[in-house]
Amino acid sequence: MSNELKIKNQTVSQWVKSGDPWVWLNAGAVAICVIMVIGLLALIAVRGLGHFWPADINQGTYSLPGSTPYTLVAERVESAEVPAAQLREAGIDVADHHDLMMRSLMKTGNRDVYGSDFRWVIDEYFTDITQPEMLFAAERHEWGNLYGYLKAVKEDGKVVAETADLTPTDSALATWAALERSIERATTIYDDIHEVEKDEIGAINHKLERLRLEQRRLELNNELTPAKLADIDAQRAEQDALYEALQQRLIDLYAEINRDTFVVQVMDGSVHELQVAKVVRAYRPNAMGIAEKLGFYGSKVVEFLTAEPREANTEGGVFPAIFGTVMMVLLMTILVTPFGVVAAVYLREYASQGFVTRTIRIAVNNLAGVPSIVYGVFGLGFFVYFLGSGIDQAFFPEALPSPTFGTGGLMWASITLALLTVPVVIVATEEGLSRIPRNVREGSLALGATKAETLWRVVLPMASPAIMTGVILAVARAAGEVAPLMLVGVVKLAPSLPLDGNYPFIHLDQKFMHLGFHIYDVGFQSPNVEAARPLVYATALLLVIVIALLNLAAVTIRNHLREKYKSLEM
Amino acid sequence: MSETTTHSIDISAMQRSQQALRIEDEKVCLSVKDLHLYYGEKEALKGIDMIIPEKKVTAFIGPSGCGKSTLLRCFNRMNDLVDSCRITGEINLHDTNIYEKGTDVAELRRRVGMVFQKPNPFPKSIYENVAYGLRIQGINKKRVIDETVEWALRSAALWDEVKDRLHESALGMSGGQQQRLVIARTVAVKPEVLLLDEPASALDPISTLKIEELIHQLKEEFTIAIVTHNMQQAARVSDYTAFMYMGNMVEFGDTNSLFTNPTKQQTEDYITGRYG
Repeated sequence: MSNELKIKNQTVSQWVKSGDPWVWLNAGAVAICVIMVIGLLALIAVRGLGHFWPADINQGTYSLPGSTPYTLVAERVESAEVPAAQLREAGIDVADHHDLMMRSLMKTGNRDVYGSDFRWVIDEYFTDITQPEMLFAAERHEWGNLYGYLKAVKEDGKVVAETADLTPTDSALATWAALERSIERATTIYDDIHEVEKDEIGAINHKLERLRLEQRRLELNNELTPAKLADIDAQRAEQDALYEALQQRLIDLYAEINRDTFVVQVMDGSVHELQVAKVVRAYRPNAMGIAEKLGFYGSKVVEFLTAEPREANTEGGVFPAIFGTVMMVLLMTILVTPFGVVAAVYLREYASQGFVTRTIRIAVNNLAGVPSIVYGVFGLGFFVYFLGSGIDQAFFPEALPSPTFGTGGLMWASITLALLTVPVVIVATEEGLSRIPRNVREGSLALGATKAETLWRVVLPMASPAIMTGVILAVARAAGEVAPLMLVGVVKLAPSLPLDGNYPFIHLDQKFMHLGFHIYDVGFQSPNVEAARPLVYATALLLVIVIALLNLAAVTIRNHLREKYKSLEM
Repeated sequence: MSETTTHSIDISAMQRSQQALRIEDEKVCLSVKDLHLYYGEKEALKGIDMIIPEKKVTAFIGPSGCGKSTLLRCFNRMNDLVDSCRITGEINLHDTNIYEKGTDVAELRRRVGMVFQKPNPFPKSIYENVAYGLRIQGINKKRVIDETVEWALRSAALWDEVKDRLHESALGMSGGQQQRLVIARTVAVKPEVLLLDEPASALDPISTLKIEELIHQLKEEFTIAIVTHNMQQAARVSDYTAFMYMGNMVEFGDTNSLFTNPTKQQTEDYITGRYG
């Protein structure tokens, strides 16, 4: 007996000695990390990507005990089990034999009719569910989705197609076809209007604003001679004439687009007449096959990636946010790389390695740990208010009192983030410089190169993979940063991109959108939380993908450089 | 490849001319006068006086830490890179003191080239490695550079091996080829003096042989100073040999006499392998 125990003890201690427990511990830690990351990505992917799928529209009778039954037409969004007791407490007369009941969030749409898009429904009492083929959903520019049966399509108030049927009869299908044609026409006109309003009138406004600033500048400098004033007035008159023409065209287009209307019967039986121009797209999910649904899904994803947001950011796309994020990160990279490298070169190569240098190095390392919001406050106080207003007074006095650089903008956001990430680049570059073999430097010096030439031609190229490592870390940190940006230039909605066809093409003073801030805004500042929630996940997934792509690009460059300058191991 | 046949050399065939060399007859290239070198408090060179004769090979031998590499690095002021290093005395290249204030160190290093113990090619193509020194001098004419690169690679007996892959990375070459590339790179800027700091110690015997053969060819055009641990090598390649010990120049003379008839007991002990 005692012998057995001894053997067992020995085995355990041997097992501990062999190091196996530590291997298991380490492997377990890695496994947990990997599982959590995969779980995170899977969660946001499933929640975010499901949003674009055209779900079936259910029609049924909802007869809650104690209230009048009514017809419900809705998409199922999510389901959850709730204890029956909770429902009883809420005043619903649930039968005694129930313990748990399924409760679903149904999207009924028609916010303009019912007052809200969503309602919770207890599955038990939602019966006679069918998916009628002629039920259709219409995405609108405002008021969210519409669900109902199409009754008629009108042009200039005259009926061109109508039906009384709720089943796919010939007349019902013909009316649907008429609506689809009408939507297509309206969409084309809508695009025209958008182009005229945004691009053409936008360009004219830009020129008029520049003329105004020009005049104001001349006034301030007392150089406004009558000749110049006449010249400016002439140019202004020219632009005004152009504007008038466009305005007339717009009026025509608006008349055109408002020509068609359609009549729809919604779930409570009421009939409404709506303008076709208000509809982005209409579809009948219950009649769609899997291929059609996939096609629809694809077009929705494309819209998400390429379109501007609608309806307080809860519908439409996030293109301005993608563009703003990428542009800001690129600008930040362009700023931070030379700055960090130059600082690291001085610290490592030129400064004498004494107490002061050591202190500076520690300070730089610690800067990486300062909370980002502190950088935001600094950016606002120093860059925006101090430098920005200085720049405005020196270079843009004609625009005052409205600020040019004296308010948050793309440039200040990039600079603030560059400041935030510069320690990372400095540390990585210093590390890289210290690893360049001494004999390679000596080889260059022995050929008559000066220290600066050696640095420029041999040392820095060899350190470039390390520099890229720093840049990768900087990009990863900057692209995900939100807090400081809220103070120095990111806004909720800025559909005009900071890069366009109007001189000077890159508008560094412009405010911009950012995916990170977009997530916050859509998720927590939105008036329609239920509608916005899937977009939060979709945007989060997109942000992760954008950062991953930016990093991947940097990693590719680094690997290329590494291959080129692989170190002289012998 | 006929590497071994084209490059094999018969050491016995490289007999030095039997007529005795006399240091007094040589033209002076570098002269060292009362050179002291300190690393912080430690005196590493304790008053060296010697000359390096022109267009001859001068070898420095001695046990590790005797200061021979340090002395070699004084000739092109590589010791300037060591922060704690302090030097008194003078070294004259022809008639100019290279330690004079205001000396253009980069120009000095162009005139006094150096090859290190470990091959240190730059992570560039073979061509760009050789062209490096020229580009540093601001020479950018492709024709001039092409010609110089070929001449330098031929001088380093490397042209035939690399002429078809001039634009491939120098890091893909063997150690021996890399070392000859480094010599070609140094030769390309047409220095007056070549300092070789144990150029063959990291190489295999065949590569070592090639380097030694190369030294023989190069001394037609360059003054060569070589540090070596290998006494046979010193005996084979040099015309003059300096034996150093503990920061002192113990004996300096023509190689034949020094190896066959040393005047100092210390020298004899060292070359016969009694210590060091």
